[in-house]
Amino acid sequence: MSQFFFFLTAIIAVAGAIGVVTLRNPFYSVLSLVCHLFALAGLFLLLQAEFVAFAQVVVYAGAVMVLYVFVVGYVGGDDETVHPWDGPAQKGIAFVFAGMLFLELCLAILGSGLKALDTRGAGFVPGFGSPGDIGELLLTKFLFAFEAASVLLLVAAVGAVVLARRRGGIHDEEQRLSFTEFMRPIGTGTTAEGVGTRDAGINLPAPAAPAAPRSDRETLPTGGERP
Amino acid sequence: MTPPLAEIYLVEPWWMQIVKGLVFFLIVFNFVPITLMAERKILGRFQGRYGPNRVGPGGWFQAIADIGKLLGKQQFSPRYAQRFLYVLAPCLSVIAAAGTVAIIPFGPVVDIFGVQTGLYGIDVSVGILYVFALGAISFYGLMLGGWASSNKYSFLGAMRSAAQLISYEAAQGMALVGVVITAQSLSLTEIVEGQKGMWYFIPQFFGMIIFIIAGFAESNRAPFALPEGEAEIIGGYGTEYGGGRFANYYMAEYLEVVVISFLTITLFFGGWQLPFGIDPPHWVDPFVVIFKALFMIFFFIWIRATLPALRYDQLMSFGWKILLPLATLNTLVTAILVVTL
Repeated sequence: MSQFFFFLTAIIAVAGAIGVVTLRNPFYSVLSLVCHLFALAGLFLLLQAEFVAFAQVVVYAGAVMVLYVFVVGYVGGDDETVHPWDGPAQKGIAFVFAGMLFLELCLAILGSGLKALDTRGAGFVPGFGSPGDIGELLLTKFLFAFEAASVLLLVAAVGAVVLARRRGGIHDEEQRLSFTEFMRPIGTGTTAEGVGTRDAGINLPAPAAPAAPRSDRETLPTGGERP
Repeated sequence: MTPPLAEIYLVEPWWMQIVKGLVFFLIVFNFVPITLMAERKILGRFQGRYGPNRVGPGGWFQAIADIGKLLGKQQFSPRYAQRFLYVLAPCLSVIAAAGTVAIIPFGPVVDIFGVQTGLYGIDVSVGILYVFALGAISFYGLMLGGWASSNKYSFLGAMRSAAQLISYEAAQGMALVGVVITAQSLSLTEIVEGQKGMWYFIPQFFGMIIFIIAGFAESNRAPFALPEGEAEIIGGYGTEYGGGRFANYYMAEYLEVVVISFLTITLFFGGWQLPFGIDPPHWVDPFVVIFKALFMIFFFIWIRATLPALRYDQLMSFGWKILLPLATLNTLVTAILVVTL
């Protein structure tokens, strides 16, 4: 039974991986990758690693690939297929990298993988792969790596928000507050300066609105793009 | 070797697994036409009209007539649709909704004809994560449906629904962490057992509110029924669907309502347990669960009749700026309380 499922999921995984690189339509490529990830989760399940299997589905298929699907859905139409650039330099580099990867895999497999062929794997201990077990390991043995990863993720999240704001991706005027605004030299051209509602550093007559506060947030027109 | 998705306690003989799988699926599945019908009837009452009352006694066969009509229609698909995905997408939606039925517990392990049987499909150690894994599949159901239709409105609707789905899944997940910390287990049966003294809707009140709100959003229900903004994007991801495939989407939506009702009462309202220390024999347990779930379904319909729909940007900022921080705060406070008390 488990052999049957192993070969089933393994074949789907390999087919999915091949599909990612061979399919011309980027949307189908992404879907193929999703198939591959689900099959990998199945392989983890066969190894009794329930938590890893479901985390795989939730994180990769449910979050990372969702992002890919969004991007490809918006950007790549079904008639815009991937056209590989067939320059000689790219081909050469591709061969070099593929050769290096092949060599590395050969070394890894010959060095260690083949030794395990005739042996039995480590015995199954009840509780192995359960969330409790993994949580304990994460908070004792691998505490440093765990915390480092969480700090990294936090930094990345904050960075994403900052970048989105700087590019004007977030149009909420009330929240448009970042130090980059104050660092821009006066008079470098916004619509607000052009129409005279903002002092461009030259001696302009006072704006018609009485006592308009000298703050960007107040004077920018709704949804105004910053340069 | 224990099978994959190994149970925590026991493995039944194979025939019992098949029998109980069928029984639970049929029970929950039959809630779909009941919910559909009850919704139309109750909405009618809320709005001062009768609701459907022509087909069968009291109009209760209307749902069957509707389903028959939908299945009898031509299986139309647009000329430029991506045929394979167009057919696959509604199936994915149903699979995702129906798969969750497997982990709803209707009772503890009981003795049926001398066989030790757990009154649930499977009792996985990852429990709630299983629900979220299936949520990932339901995302692809919506998304592929909208994309494969080759229709702008379908695609925009799918983007909306999908964004709504994953946004509220984050808040829902964080809300459930509080329950998991309190119960100290992810397994749903253990969470129910942990509610013996006090149902979790008291210590996890905010968790419950957030979970239910996110549940409304996930099943694309009334205050969050953005995918079907008739004035803006026609019918959302289902615009190009008709007949049996539309029925599939429709069924998935109602099945999701039913499943979320069951999950809510399992996680926050004591599952099969009765209050005030009443301890009935075990054959009562499934009926207790079903009865509670019916109340929850009524609550869903009630909200639909009461609240107006949100605007799309309100919806998103509510999910990310209010629900998610609240859920995180709930997790933090729960963790501190559990450790210190």
